[in-house]
Amino acid sequence: MINVTGNLKTDTEALKKLLPAEDILTFSFQSENGTEFTAVFADALTDKELLGEQIVKPLRKYLGKTKAEEVGKGLNAPELKQEKSLEALAGEVLAGNPVLLWEGMDKALIAGVKKVFVRAVAEPPTDVTIKGPREGFIEDLKINTSLVRRRFKTGELMVETITVGRRSNTCVAVCYLKGTSGEKTVKEVKKKLQAINIDILPDSSYLTHFLAERSYSLVKQVGTTEKPDIFCAKITEGRVGIIADGSPIALTLPYLLIEDFQSSEDYFVPPYRATFTRLLRLLALIVAIYLPAFYIAGQLFKLQLFPVKLLLTIAGSIRDIPLSPSLEMLLVLFVLEILNEASIRMPKYVGMALSVVGALVLGETAVTAGFVSTPAIIIIAFSGIGLYAVPNLIEVTSVVRLAMLLVAGSVGTYGIILLTAFILFYLAATENYGTPLLAPFAPQIGRDLRDSFVKYNLGSLPTRPKTLKSKNKRRLSNG
Amino acid sequence: MNKFGKFAKTIPMKLYILLALVIVFAFFSNDFGLVDIQKTAIILAAGIDRTENGFAVTAQISIPKGTDRSSCGTSSVEILGEGDTVSACIAQIYSKTGWVPKLVFCDLIVIGEETAKQDVFGCLDFFLRNEYMPDSCLLAVCEGKASDTLTMSSAIDDTSSLAIGKLFSDAAGKSGKVVKSTLKEFSIGYFGKAKSGHIPFVRSTNQTGGCTSNSSGPEGGPSSGAGENEKKIFSAEETAVFSEGKMVALLSRAETFAYNLLKGNVFSGVFSAEDNGDPVSLTVLKDEGGVSLDMKGAPKAVLSVNLRVRLYNSGVPAPVENMAESNPSPETVESAKRIIDGYVDALWKKCAESGCDLFQLSKSLYRSSPQKYEEWKDTLLSAIQPEIKTEIRIVK
Amino acid sequence: MAKISARQLFFFLACVAPVGKIILMPSALVQAANNDLLFPAAANFLLQAGVIFLVMLLSRSNQTFYQLLANTFGKIAAKIISVALTLFLLYCALLPILEQKLFVQSIFYDTLPSLIAFAPFFIFSAYLCAKQLSSLGRVWDIIAPISIVGFFGIIVLAVGNADFGALMPVGAGGGKGFLSGTAYTMLWFYDSLLVLMLMGRFEYKKGMAWKAAVFYLVGAAAVLFFLAVFYGIFSDIAIRQIFAFAKISRYFSAITVLGRIDYIFIYALGLVMAFYCAMPMQAAAECLSDAFGGGTLRSALYSVGINAVMLTITIALDYSFGSVRDTVGYRLFWLFPAVCVGLPLLALCLRRKKYEQIR
Repeated sequence: MINVTGNLKTDTEALKKLLPAEDILTFSFQSENGTEFTAVFADALTDKELLGEQIVKPLRKYLGKTKAEEVGKGLNAPELKQEKSLEALAGEVLAGNPVLLWEGMDKALIAGVKKVFVRAVAEPPTDVTIKGPREGFIEDLKINTSLVRRRFKTGELMVETITVGRRSNTCVAVCYLKGTSGEKTVKEVKKKLQAINIDILPDSSYLTHFLAERSYSLVKQVGTTEKPDIFCAKITEGRVGIIADGSPIALTLPYLLIEDFQSSEDYFVPPYRATFTRLLRLLALIVAIYLPAFYIAGQLFKLQLFPVKLLLTIAGSIRDIPLSPSLEMLLVLFVLEILNEASIRMPKYVGMALSVVGALVLGETAVTAGFVSTPAIIIIAFSGIGLYAVPNLIEVTSVVRLAMLLVAGSVGTYGIILLTAFILFYLAATENYGTPLLAPFAPQIGRDLRDSFVKYNLGSLPTRPKTLKSKNKRRLSNG
Repeated sequence: MNKFGKFAKTIPMKLYILLALVIVFAFFSNDFGLVDIQKTAIILAAGIDRTENGFAVTAQISIPKGTDRSSCGTSSVEILGEGDTVSACIAQIYSKTGWVPKLVFCDLIVIGEETAKQDVFGCLDFFLRNEYMPDSCLLAVCEGKASDTLTMSSAIDDTSSLAIGKLFSDAAGKSGKVVKSTLKEFSIGYFGKAKSGHIPFVRSTNQTGGCTSNSSGPEGGPSSGAGENEKKIFSAEETAVFSEGKMVALLSRAETFAYNLLKGNVFSGVFSAEDNGDPVSLTVLKDEGGVSLDMKGAPKAVLSVNLRVRLYNSGVPAPVENMAESNPSPETVESAKRIIDGYVDALWKKCAESGCDLFQLSKSLYRSSPQKYEEWKDTLLSAIQPEIKTEIRIVK
Repeated sequence: MAKISARQLFFFLACVAPVGKIILMPSALVQAANNDLLFPAAANFLLQAGVIFLVMLLSRSNQTFYQLLANTFGKIAAKIISVALTLFLLYCALLPILEQKLFVQSIFYDTLPSLIAFAPFFIFSAYLCAKQLSSLGRVWDIIAPISIVGFFGIIVLAVGNADFGALMPVGAGGGKGFLSGTAYTMLWFYDSLLVLMLMGRFEYKKGMAWKAAVFYLVGAAAVLFFLAVFYGIFSDIAIRQIFAFAKISRYFSAITVLGRIDYIFIYALGLVMAFYCAMPMQAAAECLSDAFGGGTLRSALYSVGINAVMLTITIALDYSFGSVRDTVGYRLFWLFPAVCVGLPLLALCLRRKKYEQIR
């Protein structure tokens, strides 16, 4: 470790040696009594105006105090630190905080005047609500933690920062409620975060890989949200939250599958409505996954799955189709997935054109030309819509849908049943930080079922979910 | 972790990938004996006739119409297969068409009149044994040959079996004009203690008009009746009754109606009576009919008909006040009672004479007293004296 | 993985175990006892409930069956018995697997598919067998409601068409019918053995023994009601109605309009059956794990081995269901009470011996 020596020239050169990049600038100036200063800072990351106003201007009137603490008192900057290690100083420069060296001082001052680039707090596009808060996380950790802190005016909210990334040095905040969140989970999360050895951390999604208990898993193992209200609600239930600098997506642990069927709006509408919409989401998902598979299995192996008149209609529609029913369905599914993928990445205006091309040109013309049948397009369209009823599970459900389709096309309805049994067993056996993924259904926890597919009113939910093993069990006091 | 440990950890993922590859391979290559919709003959109905050499089965196969919705009804084609057994006939149909005959949608089995006079389980056996054939399918005996009936062009539906099927709807059953019978019900009767059952008897009459026929005649079969442009109307108001699988008698319309009344099936059924010599129609609003066996002393069957009726239609003009009241005269009720008594009596006599235990009295006796059943099982039907109890009440 | 909870075990006894008895058993009962089919079934259920009660009492020691054997006879003898038990569990699994195969070929397909259509069952089973028996607990939490919905749905659709008078006259089958019905359907009653294998994998709580027996009898009552409906619908032709539960609901009047909505319930029960059918094999794999050591790799090897053997036997006996049924169900029927009733009773002696050792 190299420390500051007090020789301004030597110290400046040593720091520049550590930071040879062109955008690392130095600015030297003198005070009225002739003391020489050098400010080292990163161009574009440091707010030069603040540096001038809060640091340089007062120092020009410097009258020869020797102690850094006393120098600091004369400055206008509210955020000041002292540091001896040149490596640490280099890190601060790269974070946007200018470092101030001067002749005769064996410590350097770090001024917190970095330039903050942030977009405004806005409603996240992935989680739009009609009722309820519209704030969403942004890419700045401080603003994100402030959005959380605003909702917890209590000292119990702990925000602990861990630096992740050898090169990016990204700050990751672990948020939890002391006495409510499971201590074991907090410890484990912190341990896993500290053990991460990666060069840079571009987004919080990188963390999910390190936080997951299974390296290869069909279902996700970490909950995600872009909304502070959901994040806080999950922490209140006893979960641990993780916010990474540079990412608007916050993570929560442990994750339960049922979370993705719950929307924040469910808590702002009457319970019967929330129950209805949750059941609707479940039904939509079941339809999305099973409809194409059963349609194929019905045509290939079990005609009785259709009422006779529907069967005759289908038979009529596919009569002149050159592809087999399974290949036809696979083709239409791939077209849908391609259109979906393309439309998400396309610019807005081109995306609209793409929709027209997809819906009209491909769909209508393909049917007219006899490449695919109308029922196949209807089935896939219905399935595609159903999948988006639970948007957070799309990655999993689209794969499961494809698997179901392949199994239905090769083994038929029995294959569908077996694959369902397989997935059920897999999900039931999956645990996440000691919490079963399928809780409160497997294992059944009667009390937690009140906020599952069926939603009771708030008065009937006086306790935190038992699944999460929170020490502080009640959230609604008796009084 | 040693090398083997690392390798072992990746085994599940490798197995999943292998499994996925196998499924994909199976999806694209293997059909596991698959008979998909395009290789299938969807048989809507089967007609069975006995021939000198065995059986002739006419399968009415549905033909998909494509997306063209301009034509009405359901298209079908009738294919004839002949052989020693019904399954041999079905196999011949397969070889003639190249389509695999699937019976899962076969909702009607039509038996030719002559065929019904021998034990029908010679032909129904195949359908009852077949695991892929629904035993809820309807049975019908037809006038003449079953192949002719199925190839007829109906004025009601392009496909004759669908037109016949309409006769056996629940609403038609409640009218009391038709009794339906499924393969399961008939089999239970046949294999049960009574060894008796019933099957509706279908007749056809000429009718002109209706939409263009899509139905073609039986390929390779007799041409009688086929190719004629006359539209047919089917009716099933008579009922064939069976003993030990053989058709032993034909119930008339009145007897069929009486049978329905005794089963307590009728709701909104209409029958005629007289009011001072003028014809009137009464509608049945409630039917509490039933047949019970009384074995105290000499065996006795109590045939009770308990009806609530309303005047439905008078054959002569009546003042508007009378129409508002809809109140039949006591003479009308008496006449109705007489008529119903007559129907029931005729029904009983026909069954007793033909040896058909239509009311499953042997079964009732066995359930109540197996000892008495053993004592009476051969002579029960001839020994039973009927007691007809008819009660008709008026609903204004 | 946590231990099986009391609730999960009760769910198994009340909702999963009965499902294996509604495919071929109803017609087999009719064959032996005609309209008196309820009595042999009830006798078998009562016998099993009694044995389950005793096994639950035995489980108060919270030890696995293997541990009890090892405590009493030593490890080598325990291993030999475990191997024998493994073989018997596979013997128990044999007929249900063949039955399941026939059921799948008939109900899931319109035309007879090749045997390979049933082969994926063994992939599923291998996955299941590689996991611990205790991991099934959570699955029972999920499939118990599925089983209830499936069963209830089928019964609701069917009950309107049942003529319960067909069950009369009571006793027409006679004592011979009752005895043969009881004996020849014993092959479907090995639940007590499965519970024996679950011993030590759940925490015994006070009152669990009689509760387990009561839950088993609740499931039994549901099966008996099913049998009554079944006979009420088919009466004199019930004897040839194999795959009973897939057939009784198709006479529901709305089916002509809506199509085969009963398949929703049939498939739901088919899902439950897949788990139940694989359970003896899973118990066999667990038996080997207890005796010769577990671990991920070894469990996987046991699982693959067991399933490969059963797949081979299934292929070999593809056209021999009748012979297997005659041998397993008629000639060697006594093996089932001997092991499924006798072994738990003998196990009670093991327990006493161990207590004496402790003293």
